[in-house]
Order: sequence, then structure tokens, then C-alpha cells
Amino acid sequence: MVATLIWVIITAVVVLALIFFIYYNRFVRLSHQIDNSLAQISVQLKKRSDLIPNLLSAVKGYMKHERAAIKEVTDARKALVSANGIEKQMKAGNKLQSALKSIFAIAEGYPDLKANTNFLQLQQELSAIEDKVAYARQYYNDGIMSYNVMTNVIPGMWFAKMYGFNKREYLKIAEAEKAVPKIEF
Amino acid sequence: MQQTRLSFYNEIAKNKRSSFLLIGIVLAILLALVYTIGFVMGGDYFFFILIFGTIIAIAYVVGGYYKSADLAIASVNAKPATDQEYRQYNNLVEGLCLASGLPKPKLYVMHNTQINAFASGRDPQHAVVCVTDGAIEKLSKQELEGVLAHELSHIANYDIRFMTLTAVLVGMIAIISQIFLRSLFWSSMTGRGNSRDKNNAILMIIGIALAILAPIVVALVQLAISRKREYVADSSAVKFMRTPTGLIGALKKIQYNTPMKVSGAVSPLFLAKPTKEKEWFQTHPPLAKRIARLERM
Repeated sequence: MVATLIWVIITAVVVLALIFFIYYNRFVRLSHQIDNSLAQISVQLKKRSDLIPNLLSAVKGYMKHERAAIKEVTDARKALVSANGIEKQMKAGNKLQSALKSIFAIAEGYPDLKANTNFLQLQQELSAIEDKVAYARQYYNDGIMSYNVMTNVIPGMWFAKMYGFNKREYLKIAEAEKAVPKIEF
Repeated sequence: MQQTRLSFYNEIAKNKRSSFLLIGIVLAILLALVYTIGFVMGGDYFFFILIFGTIIAIAYVVGGYYKSADLAIASVNAKPATDQEYRQYNNLVEGLCLASGLPKPKLYVMHNTQINAFASGRDPQHAVVCVTDGAIEKLSKQELEGVLAHELSHIANYDIRFMTLTAVLVGMIAIISQIFLRSLFWSSMTGRGNSRDKNNAILMIIGIALAILAPIVVALVQLAISRKREYVADSSAVKFMRTPTGLIGALKKIQYNTPMKVSGAVSPLFLAKPTKEKEWFQTHPPLAKRIARLERM
């Protein structure tokens, strides 16, 4: 009788300990996933800024009179390189993206440039990076969603409080970018 | 037709549940078979059959499991898709890997004018994706991305592993049934199987019926599981891309595919199989149904 009771207690303790471990590991794994996807975003942004000098040297020969547009890209790249913290990087990355868009729009008016294979390749590569940034951000937000759901449901909520895992923030698109762009003629 | 929108999260969960239900059915049939045969044959002898059958089935499948990716790639004579030559293909897969958190699989291209693709490998670390050059030429960027998202979903959902598990169970049932039927035949020839009483004769008939029917039933269940996994992969592809447009476009183009010549062993792996047989005997659901489902997401 006493022996059975002891066994019951031992089993209960082991099961309880297992539950604690499993929840802890879940939180840690998700946190790592989230951190990693943030790192992936910076990697892509870095790749984008690395491609800019190549793009500019490909473009310069053709677009001699588009100094303003080129300067915008150079400035945006500088801002991205010196930005620290993912929020600032994202913001600078978005700015660079829109500066690049105007370069590509201007390029439409230069048939020679549009036929340049080097330029085309860079254009393709930069648009692929744009997709990758969007996907990395999506994965980051997916991670945040699973994480936040886990900190909000029972019993995850209790474990989150106990282990000190707090709710985390979604990556927001910068306010300026959400505003509808003004079209001027 | 039901007009409610399908949420891809619900779809994935629902399809996963039904896959597991189907696996449960296979296990239940296996147990029923084992139980009945055990009754007919007497315990000790049967135990031996069970172990023997299990070993054969596992040995048969484990080899295929570890070599699945290499075998599939070799059998279709695919060549690696280099970063320089297939820049867009590589870029699209890299993007989808970022969206799904998967490591980048090895990419291959096989020579075929049809639009098709497959994924293989026992886990995401050993995964391969292969597309036909027809797919690269005929599909738009977004459609190709949809196809690749579907294939990456198979990898993310561990479908190769899941189907391998199913194959082990189905194979075990087939082998056990075979051994049982043959031993019955053999013992009746040598006159050793003297019937004990009437009850035993009835059990014997049930046993024989089960042994004949079980492999057929579980093979059908296996195909049903495979079709479910295709739907899951379609839903997961939408989860990665957040739009079904690309995959729908690709599937619509695939409807005009003429049958491909590939070995029967690798054909269930492909994105789409040219259909002639009834749906029940197919590894894939009909394209029209898949498109209809995607259009509701």
C-alpha cells in the first residue's frame, strides 16, 4: 500500500517535471526562431545595400542627368548601413526600396540601359531581395503570433509568467510608408 | 458547392487530423488481422509470423527511406540547378525557405517538356526539390513560386516520413496476410491442419477473408492518406505565399499536360499525376478539385 503510494507520487512528480521542461523548451525554441528570423531580415537588407554600388555604376553611364534620383539612393544606402536596431534598419530599408523604385521607373526611359544584361540581372536580384525581405518579415510575424498565442492561453500563460517570457511585438511597417503616396503631375 | 471561405490554418489542421485518423484505421485493421489469425493458428506459431513479417516490411522500407532522395533524383536523371544558370528558381526557393523557416533544399532540374515537380528526402535537412525544365519555361514567376511552395510544404510537413510510416504498416499487413494464406495452403496439403471444431472453421473463414481483404483495404486507405497530404501541401503553400493565385495558375496549366513517362515508383512524388483511373486509385486528388479548393481560400 505504502509502496504503491510512493510510486504514484514519483510518477506524478516526473510527469509534472516533464510538463515544466516541455513548456520551457517551447518558449525557448520559439524565441530563438523569432530572433533568427530577425537576423534573416538584416541579412537580406545587408545584401540589398551591398548590391547598390554595382547598380549605381551600371546606371551612371546612362543616367547622367538623373543626379537627384541617384543621390537619393546613395543617401538611403548610407542610412541603411549606419542604422542600428532592426526597426531603424527596416525603416532605412524601406526608404532605399522606394528610392530604387524611382531609379527603375526612370530606367524605363533609357532603352539602352534596359537592354543592358548587367542592369537586368541587378534589377532581378534586387526584386528577389525585396520578396525575401517580405517573406522573412512574414515568418517573423508568424513566430510572434505563435509565441503570443502561447503566452495567452492556459496553461501557457502560467508558464510564461513563471519563466518571465513576456509578450513580444509585431514588426510594424513604418507609419510614413503606410500613408498612400501622393501622386503629383 | 459550399461557399464559405476556407482558412488555411483550419484546412491544415483538419487535413492533418484526417491523415492521423486514416493511420488509425490502418492500425486497427492490422490489429484485427493479427487477432483473428492468432485465434486460428494458435499463439506461438503466429507470433513467429508476426515478427518475421515486421522485419521484412521494415527492412524493405528503411532502405528506401534513407535513399529516397538519391533514388528519386537518379531515376529521373535530374541535374543540379546551379545558382548561376537557374537564378530565379534558386531565388524563389530561398524566399520560400525564409517564409517557412526551412533550410534550403538541394535543387534539381529534370529534362521534360511537361510542367511538373517533386520533393523528396526524409527530413528538411536532407531534402531535394526537382522541377521539369518545362515548368521553368512555361510557368510565370508567381506560378513557379506556387509550385515550389507546394513542394516545400511536403518537406515542411514531413510527408516523405509520414508516407514511409504508412508504407511500413501497409507492407506489414500485406506480408502477414501472404504468410498466413500460404501456411494455410501448405498445412492443408500436408494434412496437418486438422480442424478442431465448427467454431474454428468459421474463424478460419473470417481469417481468410480478412487476409485477402485487409491488404486491399489498407492500400486504398494509403492512397486516401496520400490525397489528404496533397491537400495539406496546397494549404501550406498558401500559408507560405499568403495567396493561392500562383498555385491555381500552375495547376490550371498542368491540366493540359499529356502523360509523362516516369517509373511507377516515383510517380506518386510528383506535383500532379496525369489521371486516367478513378479517384480512389490515385495518389493525388483530381486537379479540378484542388483548384476549386484553392479558389475558396
